Amino acid sequence: MKKEMLRFSDVTLIYHTVRGETTAIEHLSFDVSEGEFVAIIGPSGCGKTTLLSLAAGLIKPSDGNVERGGSCGYMLQKDELFPWRTIEKNIFLPLEIKGQNDAAHRERARSLAAKYGLGDFLESYPSQLSGGMRQRAALIRTLATDPEILLLDEPFSALDYQTRLNVTEDVAGIIRSEKKTAVLITHDISEAISLADRVFVLTKRPARVAFSHEMEFDGVVNPLKRREMHQFSGWFEVLWRELNL
Amino acid sequence: MKNRQKKNFSAEHARFLKRRRNKLIVVWCLRLGLLALILGIWETVAATGLSDPFLTSSPSRICNTIASLYRDGTLFYHIGTTLWETLVGFAIAVVLGYGIALALWWSETLRRVLEPYIVVLNALPKIALGPLIIIWFGTGSKAIVFMTVLVGLIVAIMHMLSAFIATDKNKLLLLRSMGAGKLQTLAKLVVPSSLPAFISMLKVNVGMAWIGSIMGEYIVSRAGLGYLIVYGGQVFKLDLVMTATVILCILAAGMYFLVALLEKFLVKNPES
Repeated sequence: MKKEMLRFSDVTLIYHTVRGETTAIEHLSFDVSEGEFVAIIGPSGCGKTTLLSLAAGLIKPSDGNVERGGSCGYMLQKDELFPWRTIEKNIFLPLEIKGQNDAAHRERARSLAAKYGLGDFLESYPSQLSGGMRQRAALIRTLATDPEILLLDEPFSALDYQTRLNVTEDVAGIIRSEKKTAVLITHDISEAISLADRVFVLTKRPARVAFSHEMEFDGVVNPLKRREMHQFSGWFEVLWRELNL
Repeated sequence: MKNRQKKNFSAEHARFLKRRRNKLIVVWCLRLGLLALILGIWETVAATGLSDPFLTSSPSRICNTIASLYRDGTLFYHIGTTLWETLVGFAIAVVLGYGIALALWWSETLRRVLEPYIVVLNALPKIALGPLIIIWFGTGSKAIVFMTVLVGLIVAIMHMLSAFIATDKNKLLLLRSMGAGKLQTLAKLVVPSSLPAFISMLKVNVGMAWIGSIMGEYIVSRAGLGYLIVYGGQVFKLDLVMTATVILCILAAGMYFLVALLEKFLVKNPES
């Protein structure tokens, strides 16, 4: 029995604005176990990002419970590297925030950067890096504090297609080899299939989990290899249909 | 840290650099040429009697006035007085304005409470407060510094506040997800990301400070460049008026140049 890293039990979230209230999420339940890679897809505007904010504990549910089995690292659509900081200083940012800016933690973050090919760029500024490298730096920054759960909010959608495939490959490899639990929000069906162990399909607002699928690819986890396998198009068809219900 | 090592450029690149440099030289020549032309025409018109130098003064008369002010020892006294008032007023307005803008960023309630007051104070012509300032602060430098602060302060507050509020939402979210508190958000993100706005606020406030100090000297003063201008106007010594104005131009340009220098020093890595 694997440890539960993230559990949503019967979560409801209501947004309040001056004009009225909107139920963004209603009776949403799911759980993610340790080391699992879950992708969540859903129609646009169904509250996917809200779901991640709930998971990260940035907002409290109106009803129900969100339990976390460890600390969270958040990765956004754009890299959001601070342009006035070098890559190294950007990677140290979460250490500074969490008060872990000591030699041991810094050394760990630095070696992580070196391990994943950023060693030569530590003194560079973000504007000197390509989009793919910047996103990789953003991932290393997220990993710097060694979070147990990674929350990925469409982290590839701002990249052009070719870079996107490469960075997906890259990031997936890093997450798998660091054995992190990950929750990926995306609107890209093929991205979800190629990356995840399990895919949740959400309904239109208010969001609930409509379907949940184990992605079976004979143990293959590499995104590009998965795209070449015969199961891929089958899954695509299933998810496409379910998204449009 | 920039890579400044010399590279072997292609001949075409060398030509490109040369063209750029030549263009810069041309622009500077034209700038200086224009200045010389204006001064030349001004001098000729006055010397040939086409205009009455009593009314229009002339570059040579300005030089003579500067020399005579220098000889009777009052030149640097007047310059120093105005410069001091301007710099002190500028510094107070910038520091106070930055601080108040920070407080307003920090507390949304405070911001909403004070918003109408700031709008009204911004629209109010500060010179209307002249008589009050004289009564409250007397006729010395204090009154002029106060006027300078008054003119620059609201501009500084509004400029910085809008920059603080415009902090990138996603970067704020990122910091929040790392568990950053308000003070950390301020130190790590809001202050550094508003640095360009701070520089442009300084540039705007250089102008505001001169407006404030000269306006202040118009109302109450016994010394300073604004005083020379008013006095010169009253006794119809237009040479004095022109001289003080020219000195003002030079000082204002110098102060702006210093801020531009500070910008080069502070903003090392503009997003390119």
